[in-house]
Amino acid sequence: MKKQFVAQQAGARLPDQRKTRKPWTRNDWILLIMALLGLAFLAVFAYAPLYGLLLAFKVDGEYINIQHAIQYGTWAGWDQFKDFLTDPDFADIMFNTLGLNLLQLLINFPAPIIFAVLMSELLSDKFKKMVQTVTFFPHFLSWVIFGGIFLSLLDYDTGFVNTILVKLGLVSEPVDILGGEGYFWGLIICTSLLKGLGWGSIIYVAAISGVPKEQYEAAILDGANRWHKIRYVTLPAIAPTITLFFILSISGLLNNGVDHLWVFQNANNIARSEVLDTFIYKFGIPYQRYGYATAIGLMKSVVSVILLVTGNAVCKKISGKGIY
Amino acid sequence: MKKLLDYHSEHFSLIRKIACWLSVIVLALTAFFVYVSQVEIDNATEQIYTTVAQLRLIFTCLAPVALLVIVTYAVLFFKERKEKRQLGRRKKTHIHLFDVLNTGWMAVFCVMCIFPIIYVIAGSFSQGADYAKGGIYLLPRVFTFENYKLVLSDSAFYRSYLVTIARTVIGTVTGLVFTSAVAYAMSRNNLKGKKFFYWANIVTMFFGGGLVPYFLIIQATGLYDTFWVYIIPSLYSVYNMIVISSFFRGISSELHEAAEIDGAGELYIWWKIYMPLSKPVLATVALWLAVGHWNSYFDTMLYTSSEELQTLQHFLLKAISTSTMTEGLPETMMQSVSAMTVSLAAIILSIIPVLFAFPFVRKNFQSGIMIGSLKG
Repeated sequence: MKKQFVAQQAGARLPDQRKTRKPWTRNDWILLIMALLGLAFLAVFAYAPLYGLLLAFKVDGEYINIQHAIQYGTWAGWDQFKDFLTDPDFADIMFNTLGLNLLQLLINFPAPIIFAVLMSELLSDKFKKMVQTVTFFPHFLSWVIFGGIFLSLLDYDTGFVNTILVKLGLVSEPVDILGGEGYFWGLIICTSLLKGLGWGSIIYVAAISGVPKEQYEAAILDGANRWHKIRYVTLPAIAPTITLFFILSISGLLNNGVDHLWVFQNANNIARSEVLDTFIYKFGIPYQRYGYATAIGLMKSVVSVILLVTGNAVCKKISGKGIY
Repeated sequence: MKKLLDYHSEHFSLIRKIACWLSVIVLALTAFFVYVSQVEIDNATEQIYTTVAQLRLIFTCLAPVALLVIVTYAVLFFKERKEKRQLGRRKKTHIHLFDVLNTGWMAVFCVMCIFPIIYVIAGSFSQGADYAKGGIYLLPRVFTFENYKLVLSDSAFYRSYLVTIARTVIGTVTGLVFTSAVAYAMSRNNLKGKKFFYWANIVTMFFGGGLVPYFLIIQATGLYDTFWVYIIPSLYSVYNMIVISSFFRGISSELHEAAEIDGAGELYIWWKIYMPLSKPVLATVALWLAVGHWNSYFDTMLYTSSEELQTLQHFLLKAISTSTMTEGLPETMMQSVSAMTVSLAAIILSIIPVLFAFPFVRKNFQSGIMIGSLKG
């Protein structure tokens, strides 16, 4: 009796449950297909390449067809990784990659923030707009064009910079900026500042313009001077944006803009201009050492993820905010 | 005539803007032609000299008119300002040393951003042999059109220009439509399995196969060395999807419900209601896509091998680094042009579309970026 009662109850509840779970409508299907479009794209262009990571564990040069190399290639174990770690250039490449990125983190990361704050302090709105327009412009030119322009600006004999330096008496004879390995990092920093300062500041300018005017007025009433206003109103307001971009740049510590470095790299400055990304490109495509390049790329990806997670954890601990 | 000068009328500021800019252009061209007629001209360009002289005549006649227009509007501007000042006196701000320094440094940086372009323009109009002597910064010493003539007679230049324009237009439009379609689905709360989709997207932002496996996929999909290798792999980007979908989420859901009650399907709501409402963010993402397409050259190096598919930037790279364009020219020509000046002319020709597009896209920067930055 009791069992029957329970079964009856369960049976009685079932139709109700079905009612609460709505059947799929046409709109549900449409939405699903739209989302699947994105997933299909990612499956091909983001997830399928993960299968290619197997190349990192295969012996190089056995098959010309890469597909065959993945399928039938002899396993190499960790040999490719060991090869890279014992490569005579390894120390130099890591030094360049980390050095350039840390320098950029030190200079190119805070520069747009400072620039945005300074811009917000400009008195004339018209001038502010003009500065913004003009400083955005270089962002729209490609690195190739920048490379071409700087090639002529920094030319050893006829370049503008050398002529000015010599005329001012700062140097006794022209400096070979493009050919000397000692100048390469400085060149990269300066060119990316010139190209990216205005554009990079746009995010912070937007964040600053979102600060209510009353906050500044209240600060003035409290006797705040300009520095106080920046320190206690503007900076806290853009702190979340700064944190977000800081974590992202930490995780990109092993990435360099290839298209930036490529136009300035040449045989004379290779000792200071060879970074992981250019190295991977050279070994991967022109030299066709697929396994080797994949292995280096894999190491890079893993380190990037570790950096992202650690960076996020540290930021969470310090400021209470992370990106996820 | 009277209407043009009435600063109380509603279209006045627009009329003033157009008139002033036209006058400025006329004056600039006058200055240019007067300058050209004064400066030494390279032998090869001398046939053009008569045309230049005629143009100079026309423009020197137009110049006083332009000057008059500018002066009139300047006078009107001050009159208007005086009138406005009388209505409401502006509070006088105290100017500190800091403001002076700040303005000064901003001006210096602006000059630094502009100067390279002027330098390149000067170089592109210079005679090759004369340029090699150095010292040309603002104006060419020996004037010539030969650099431009040489670039414009190169069929590879036209081809690469065409490829770049095609990929920019097609790539931007398709990328925008595709990404926003996915973004729309991801912004809806009634999407089944939303969490799964979200994480499947996010993961790819931080972990990828790297260069070689990606190259392998390009080969396996048959995209290698086709025009579509520029379009299809950049159809979708997770970052842009997040930016667009966070804007979609900000659109009031009542609108969606109302449309749904009227029997509109999701596709209709997305295309006819959400897309038109999201113009600022779409303009921003379109700008990102277009700039990316226009400026990229590494994908040409990586994923194509045939000459016909090279992009403008790749063409420039080759022209700059290997001086392909001046190879095999007769001795007599090498007096007028050099590898450097020709590539400078090519650079200027490749910047022109960007220069024209720039004022139009400029006003979209702030509004759109604001959305993308904080939530991205």
